[in-house]
Amino acid sequence: MANVIVNRVKEFLKRFPPFTFLNDASLGLVAKGVEVKYFAQEEYLFKQGDPAQDFFFVLKEGSVQLTENKEGKERVVEVCDEGDVFGVLALLGKRPYILNARAIEDSLIYAVPVAIFEKILNENSRVSLYFAAGFASGQVVVRTDLSQSQKARRDFTELSKDNGLMIFSGQSDLNFSIDVLTCPKGTPISKAVEKMAEKGVGSIVIVDHNHFPLGIITDKDIRNKLVAQQKSYETPVEDLMSAPVLTKRKDAGFAELYLTMIKNRLHHLIFTEDGSLESKVTGILSDHDILLSQGNSPAVLINALMNTWDVAEMSKIRNRAEMLLKYYLENEVAMDFVANIISEINDIIIQRAVQLAVKKHSPNHLEASKVKFCFLSMGSEGREEQLLRTDLDNSIVFEDVSKEKSEETQAYMLLIAQEVIETLFACGFQACPADMMANNPKWCQPMSVWKSYFSDWILSPNQQALLNATIFFDFRPVFGHKKLAEELTEHIYQEIADKAIFLNFLAKNALLNPPPLGFFRNFLVEKSGEQKDKFDIKLRAMMPLADMARLLVLSHRVVGINNTFKRFEKLSELEPNYTELLIEAGKAYEILMRMRAIEGLKSGNSGRYIHPEDLGKLQRQMLKNTFAPIDELQKIMRIRFQIDFFTG
Amino acid sequence: MKWLDFFLGKKTPKSTFVEEYESGFDKKIPALRAISQLSFVVLDTETTGFNPKIDNVVSFGAIKLKGYTLQVANSMERYLDAPVQNRESVKVHEILYPIETSPLKDFGKDLLEYIGSDIIVGHHIGFDLAMLEKTLKPFGFKKFLNPVIDTKYLAMRLEKGPHFDTKSAKQEEYSLDAVCERFGIELADRHTAAGDAFLTAQFLMKLLKIAEIKGIKDFGGLIR
Repeated sequence: MANVIVNRVKEFLKRFPPFTFLNDASLGLVAKGVEVKYFAQEEYLFKQGDPAQDFFFVLKEGSVQLTENKEGKERVVEVCDEGDVFGVLALLGKRPYILNARAIEDSLIYAVPVAIFEKILNENSRVSLYFAAGFASGQVVVRTDLSQSQKARRDFTELSKDNGLMIFSGQSDLNFSIDVLTCPKGTPISKAVEKMAEKGVGSIVIVDHNHFPLGIITDKDIRNKLVAQQKSYETPVEDLMSAPVLTKRKDAGFAELYLTMIKNRLHHLIFTEDGSLESKVTGILSDHDILLSQGNSPAVLINALMNTWDVAEMSKIRNRAEMLLKYYLENEVAMDFVANIISEINDIIIQRAVQLAVKKHSPNHLEASKVKFCFLSMGSEGREEQLLRTDLDNSIVFEDVSKEKSEETQAYMLLIAQEVIETLFACGFQACPADMMANNPKWCQPMSVWKSYFSDWILSPNQQALLNATIFFDFRPVFGHKKLAEELTEHIYQEIADKAIFLNFLAKNALLNPPPLGFFRNFLVEKSGEQKDKFDIKLRAMMPLADMARLLVLSHRVVGINNTFKRFEKLSELEPNYTELLIEAGKAYEILMRMRAIEGLKSGNSGRYIHPEDLGKLQRQMLKNTFAPIDELQKIMRIRFQIDFFTG
Repeated sequence: MKWLDFFLGKKTPKSTFVEEYESGFDKKIPALRAISQLSFVVLDTETTGFNPKIDNVVSFGAIKLKGYTLQVANSMERYLDAPVQNRESVKVHEILYPIETSPLKDFGKDLLEYIGSDIIVGHHIGFDLAMLEKTLKPFGFKKFLNPVIDTKYLAMRLEKGPHFDTKSAKQEEYSLDAVCERFGIELADRHTAAGDAFLTAQFLMKLLKIAEIKGIKDFGGLIR
């Protein structure tokens, strides 16, 4: 770390509030964490509706305009000057930006990471008061002096009188139900649940004889307070409900509603006639309604992707998809749906990337660009299971061409591949550490070479071949001539039919990792290194399941199902003797995917290593339960593929 | 028999950290990698004088740039024990009693680890690299293998066009002070290595944006 640079940043910050309130040590801590960012004139720092970044901003040099989209136009709300702090509101609320920020001159920005600043907010009451006072008055910019802030406040309230903090672009965006499902106090829970099922809703409000709200029961309460506690289904609703509820008037400012929900970590807010608890229920607002109102529905994201050729924009949309993913995971939306949506979004990005690449390079390679090709996703993306943007695994297969053209053709395909991969990097995907990517000449080949690869792996299944098989056998065409992919699949099945013993090798490989429980049914954790005491959920639990699903699918010659849990679903039909076990295995895989994704989002990595101690008791049990089908299946595989008599 | 090796002209054996550095260049940066995806390391040195043969590096400063972002935490600053304290240079740099100096070997190891295979950038960078190469020579280091960009020549290319004869440029017009002033970068901490590296990094961001506007959008275009 360079002290000269840290001091330079410190000297600047300490001239402006709230940094003026910090002591030297705290200021040093903030300065060390700063990222210096440069934005050219007309570039956006963030746009209305973008998820909050992990920073707030201090303008070092230049000029930044904050604007609001209204009725299809951009209206200026604020112009920031040197030392002004902005982008804080979204951060504190952990919600999307409510305004656009655009550099109107070339600008240098100090981005202060919120993690460091949050710590200071907690320690320094003056700083937090400063922020609280500013925002209570509807300030979007933390001003250098008071006169300016008053002016800002006046301008601001004029502009936004209808919706306070302008969280939403318009009231009409927010849909909530007026038709609230209620039941009186004293109702047995079984009756209440019946009503919920009948209406297909996830919550019921408990009211007294005046129809005043007393509490609320949600799907979650039924799971946690009733079923998990093994209570009688005749328990009266008031024993299970969450109470008291928070109430508001329907016409309360949207910002107020929104902030109330965030501050109190509420999933539901109840509207009453006069906004108090002593008043009749008139409506209910859920965080789901809010999510939809912010344009983060999959349809909106996909539509936005289909309408842009701008890589930076695509990258932003992919970031928003991550927010959606988080919401889905927290709310336990069905995994096949989640995986579908995210894969769809990833696929569209890849498809757009290939199209962009072709458009850019085909004019200079007229001959080569006529050759048919297919861009394949492999590994977890090939299985439509890649929720987080972890390693990319992909390849290109193209038509066989005459010998004299082959070099030129491959050069062109590699160019396309490199371009696509650059776009994917820009969209936040990570490189495959083993270089199993289409820009590697080895994995950008004509049909005949690909066929010979697969034939080789099947005919001489050494360790490397088997490892390759686990990744390449899950290929899936994403863009281009799907016929090429089909031809390859056909070839693989023919080769396997001739050399059935290959499956035994594959089985042996699938059984390399035994069920992940120790003698005392403890987790097998990593013994040393960086991941000491952590559990490798990918290697120990997910890979064995994915490997066995692949093996069985190959042995049944099933075509076109790549998803591990869908593979198990299909297999459960094909193997009536093991229907239950196979369904269970599929379920287990879904649970593991969810856990890994949640861990990954939480710690900002691949989520591969889980600390069993950090899991709640229920989750730990759930994780352990997923191991039972692994164990069972491995036993069956061992016998079916005669592993014990077969020494390779 | 080190002295014997010396007389026989045998090579200094390579330290492991030099070998590790060299092994980082197996893969080339693809020509069409977008500027915003490239990793740069912007560096500067302060020395006892201008002759790499007799002078020494007194201090070193560097910061990394990627995606138009500089991370303050990911910067490096070192002061070295120079064998001779040259009075003239002390006057310029005001480094009289360095706070904490690093042994050469630690410096060399940290330096090569930090730089890795990133694109090296500096203002009049040739001199800094020559000085650093000399400093690392005792460890079997020969030369930097990284792609190199000199902000001085990049500025000339962008201001005067690609066919400009850089030799005909007025040198004072392209000093770091002059370009910072012309490009609106606030001068501060001049003549500390880290301070100059920080300035140069800000200058580089401006240049890269200008390059993008002029249609130089990727590594291939940038490095020519």
